[in-house]
Amino acid sequence: MSDKVDPGVELLRQRFPTAVVSVSESCGDRIVTVARDALLEVARWLRDDPTQQYDLLLDLTAVDRLRLGLQPRFATVYQLYSITRNTSLRLNVPLEWNGEGDGPMCPSVTDIWPTANWLEREAYDLFGIHFDGHPWLRRILNPENWVGYPLRKDYPLGGEPVNFSDDRDNPRFAHLGRQIMEGLSFPSELPPGMDTESHMVINLGPQHPATHGVLRVAVELDGERIVSAHPEVGYLHSGFEKTGENKRYEKFIPYTDRMDYLAGMNNNLAYVLTVEKLLGVTDVPPRAQYVRVILAELQRLGSHLFWLATHAHDVSGTIHSLLMYCLRMREMILDIFEMFCGGRVTVTGMCVGGLRQDIPGAFAGAVSAFLREFRERFKEYDAMLTHNPIWEARLRGIGYLDPREAVALGITGPMLRAAGIGFDLRRARPYSAYDEFDFEIPTATESDCYARYLVRMREMEQSARIIEQAIRRLPGGPVRSADRKVVLPPRPELNTSMEALIHHFKLVTEGYKPPVGDAYGMAENPKGILGFYLVSDGSAVPYRLHIRGPSFVNLQGTDRLARGHLLSDLITIIGSVDIVLGEVDR
Amino acid sequence: MDELLARRSGALGLLVTTLEQAVNWGRKYSMWPMTFGLACCAMEMIASGASRFDIARFGAEVFRASPRQADLMIVSGRVSNKMAPVVKRLYEQMAYPKWVIAMGDCSSVGGPFNNYAIVQGVDKLVPVDVYVPGCPPRPEALFDAIIKLQQKVQRHEPLGERHR
Repeated sequence: MSDKVDPGVELLRQRFPTAVVSVSESCGDRIVTVARDALLEVARWLRDDPTQQYDLLLDLTAVDRLRLGLQPRFATVYQLYSITRNTSLRLNVPLEWNGEGDGPMCPSVTDIWPTANWLEREAYDLFGIHFDGHPWLRRILNPENWVGYPLRKDYPLGGEPVNFSDDRDNPRFAHLGRQIMEGLSFPSELPPGMDTESHMVINLGPQHPATHGVLRVAVELDGERIVSAHPEVGYLHSGFEKTGENKRYEKFIPYTDRMDYLAGMNNNLAYVLTVEKLLGVTDVPPRAQYVRVILAELQRLGSHLFWLATHAHDVSGTIHSLLMYCLRMREMILDIFEMFCGGRVTVTGMCVGGLRQDIPGAFAGAVSAFLREFRERFKEYDAMLTHNPIWEARLRGIGYLDPREAVALGITGPMLRAAGIGFDLRRARPYSAYDEFDFEIPTATESDCYARYLVRMREMEQSARIIEQAIRRLPGGPVRSADRKVVLPPRPELNTSMEALIHHFKLVTEGYKPPVGDAYGMAENPKGILGFYLVSDGSAVPYRLHIRGPSFVNLQGTDRLARGHLLSDLITIIGSVDIVLGEVDR
Repeated sequence: MDELLARRSGALGLLVTTLEQAVNWGRKYSMWPMTFGLACCAMEMIASGASRFDIARFGAEVFRASPRQADLMIVSGRVSNKMAPVVKRLYEQMAYPKWVIAMGDCSSVGGPFNNYAIVQGVDKLVPVDVYVPGCPPRPEALFDAIIKLQQKVQRHEPLGERHR
């Protein structure tokens, strides 16, 4: 994943000798520190110049460096990606702040990369950084009347001490329940541009059977036509990042299951890849890499099956049978996971350096049996929908998204591929032995809901192909790295080796301590690119842990997709975006 | 007259019981849950509704999207501070008699999310009848909770509004 030979960075330095403060490298990532005043100029050049072409703003976040002893205290971080050149670059912008107001100022890049809109609102909500020139800077994840900025280092983790008693009259527990806020007694603010005088604004959610969780959308309607749709998120904000900054690296793996709870294995994989990158672990054995691919692709099938089930159910109640069929198929995948690690939904199947345990003997047979049945049943699902006139009438031509606009909005995954851009990290930057398998990246050009449906269906076939190859060529050998500083030694070794005992003791009591630095890791999840940004201060606990949820970024496009369509099409569009609110709100 | 009643009731298979018991018996086997999923536990709740586990075996398969038509709220997942007023309002919108199952660790006690964002147990907002441990609980655990709730409903004495 390294960009050591990217000549673009040298060009950048020559072009902006004063704006570029420094160029450094950490864990194979190129990092350019840029002065705040020159950020917009540099960003625009990076996007437009033919030698750079950083058209995709993958991630935008901030770091509170209070305990790192660095000045100034806040810095914003921009993770850029060039799809055409397959290079990435990280911009680091330190923000001078003299203590005035409640946070530093930073110029907004929403004009350059529209995807920054929600990402900047998130940084404002969690860090209190004011983005100058942002069209509508409001809290996005926390309630509007929240006090303070949770991800600042002087903000406590919160929560309650755990008392193992249910004695409610005990004055010791009088503080319980204080955390709950009063509900808003006023309607929440609508974004500028909504015409409430001549149009009707209706509220959809957060409790609605077709929003796939606790999503709320304020829809501006002219008759039954959508003038604008404004998703409001944060109803499932669970403080993953703050929790992660208070736990050791390995203890965050179970939390990743609970983000996108339909793709636990994929989340595990993205996270362990990032930690491995930060630690410099490169000797993950081939067997572990193959099993990781099998698990990740099974999970992709599970996620897509669930998407198909709910999408078909939402769009047309008459296809209720498909909900039952797809869930039946998914149960087989969950059984395989249960056989492997004991969990169905929240799996925690991988660990840093390999797998938690080797696959059981019956695993390969169960996967092959599943594939046989899947191939057979998949034909039925395909036949039920693909040429179904109701299905086509509800999906074709709905929710068109221009490919350039899709990139500008930061959209990744099947949505981007349905717009004709065959960008898939499994092909662009293969990880975990993905380069050893023969598979295609399905794309479509219509870029409507039907194209997204077709792309996901074809992706399921490709996933089955990958699993089949991996099972057939599964290598033998260990399933964990030999690096004893990171991975627990095998149990029998503890009886014979003093050294193994010491390693075991150190790992269990202290954990591993990555070197000072930061790393950005990503993987192709069923919904798009899942990114993790980790900053290490040399201790066993991440100093900063940031998650780029593909659902969060993709959901931002809802307004663009829904304009001009009927209200009932909004349900189709939300379904075709394929979101999981646990990941949107994190 | 007595003779006539005895003869007729014997033929009809009449069962003499109290009105409360008869009503409770009807209530416990036709509990309508609200279509209301929060987080990971909602996936297991949906799995409970699908063909393999089949929640219909316990008379609770009619998921209603409107709280006005539901009598059982399954809080399936973590409740954030932003969601808390919504959950409370949904509960208040349900008609009596109504019951609540706190499904999973998060809605019972906050689960692994002991932090600023999550309400540490939904029982701070609404009265909970049955708590289900698990992260997430398997569908069988949810069925166990429904059976426990049915037993509780059968024991319920006064007719009319419930007293808590």
